[in-house]
Amino acid sequence: MQTAAAARATVPPCISLRGVSVAFEARGRRVQALSDATLDITEGEFVALLGPTGCGKSTLLRVISDLLRPTDGVLLVRGQPAADARRRNDFGFVFQEAALLPWRTALANIRLPLEVVGYDDAKRNDRCGELLASMGLANFGNSFPSELSGGMKQRVAIARALSWNPSILLMDEPFSALDEITKNQLQDELLRIWEREQKTIVFVTHNISEAVYLADRVVVMSAHPGRIHQVIDVALPRRRGPEIRDTIEFIEQVRLVRAALLQS
Amino acid sequence: MSEAGTASGGAVSAASSSRRGHLDGIGPPLLILVVVLIAWEAAVRLMDVPPWLLPAPSKVALRFVRTQDLLYHTGLTLLEAGAGFAIAAVLGVALSAGIANSRFLERGLFPYVIVSNAVPIIAIVPLLNIWLGFGITTKIVIAAIITFFPIVTNTTRGLKSADERILDLMHSINATGAQVFFKVQLPSALPFIFAGFRIAASLSLVGAVVAEFYGADRGLGYLVITAATQLKTDLLFVAIIALAAIGVTTFWLFGFLERRALHGQAETDRRR
Repeated sequence: MQTAAAARATVPPCISLRGVSVAFEARGRRVQALSDATLDITEGEFVALLGPTGCGKSTLLRVISDLLRPTDGVLLVRGQPAADARRRNDFGFVFQEAALLPWRTALANIRLPLEVVGYDDAKRNDRCGELLASMGLANFGNSFPSELSGGMKQRVAIARALSWNPSILLMDEPFSALDEITKNQLQDELLRIWEREQKTIVFVTHNISEAVYLADRVVVMSAHPGRIHQVIDVALPRRRGPEIRDTIEFIEQVRLVRAALLQS
Repeated sequence: MSEAGTASGGAVSAASSSRRGHLDGIGPPLLILVVVLIAWEAAVRLMDVPPWLLPAPSKVALRFVRTQDLLYHTGLTLLEAGAGFAIAAVLGVALSAGIANSRFLERGLFPYVIVSNAVPIIAIVPLLNIWLGFGITTKIVIAAIITFFPIVTNTTRGLKSADERILDLMHSINATGAQVFFKVQLPSALPFIFAGFRIAASLSLVGAVVAEFYGADRGLGYLVITAATQLKTDLLFVAIIALAAIGVTTFWLFGFLERRALHGQAETDRRR
């Protein structure tokens, strides 16, 4: 099997950051949210951004998706400015809380981006129905968010982010508010989606084992100022399932990442 | 009857209990009204209270029936208040859309919105009489000015209550300003807008009546002033009851519209 590092060398990066910094003024003080971040993310790669609060994880996501302009440095998505990728609707977002519109049904929430990106009118509802079914919510299309559990809401949010088939998924602590059982289920579902649809995923988390379980690489960040401390290749085979959680290899990887986090 | 139902215990069907709930809603206030009216009538008759001080309910009722142009005065005041409200609603929501989406407009305009609320409306009526005369226009403008503030503040707050993350999501897929406004901001604001409308509706009535105090030959405000100066206290009561009826009706109407709008929103989405 080809090593991840060798693969990265031959394929041009999907997302490329060179010395990216973000600073802003808060109450007259200059706050460095992100300092000199350099990172290449390969096409189809699953990267976890791991770190304590205030390390600039979410800022990094907002920069990549062109919601926030870096104050310094260069950010390219497939060799072009991030704004171009945004205009092509390359980015799908999933947030910590599902952030669904309460007055829309599950189906209509998934449809929202399709209405915006100009998806074929006739096919919208079919597409949303398919996604609902694939997330195991076939019978909940007409339910309102208030009628759904936390895990179901997050499933709807993921379906919404997948609806127009963006090539890059940006996920900001999507499972951190869920209970352990639901969280593990959704992690496995996400891995299946990623394997099936070959998307590039940037996944923000502050949960070490979650980062190790999901990602090809874990980007360990540190706070004040937010910066990239270390990038760790996860030496675990793919097609991961719940059984690897108790293997020596998995625990060893978690230990490695934890050590890096402690140093940061 | 309601007592008996409760005492008979749990074996009450859902339908009958909901019907009982409805009676519970209007039953008690109706009962109290009847008791008060009887006591009032009795007190006035027994103590021989002069009608200019406190007319008996029966006398008020008689006057109510005999005031032939009551409907005309009521309709006119309703028209003034309604037109003023409608103008303020359209301008207010449009202005709020600007304020909620532009730092510049927020900073530039909000102080004046607050000033519009700080100046006592009564002080503005004479000025508008000079500019616009004593006709219906002045009344409409006063009703619009007085309703403007609650509409703008509530709508702005509502538009800003939209979920930041959904706004991020919309921007990340290049949503247009109109798409963000109509799909996210405006629906998020609806409960706030209706709260503002409800306050504004009763204020618009205040505005129209106050404007009529200052020089009018028709309308419920005119009726109030003439009845008071001529010590026709029974007519005064008639005018007040008409005003109360408008107030209660609009309050109820807006509650109804709110339920329809918020429910209807969900319904359209369900059907689409």
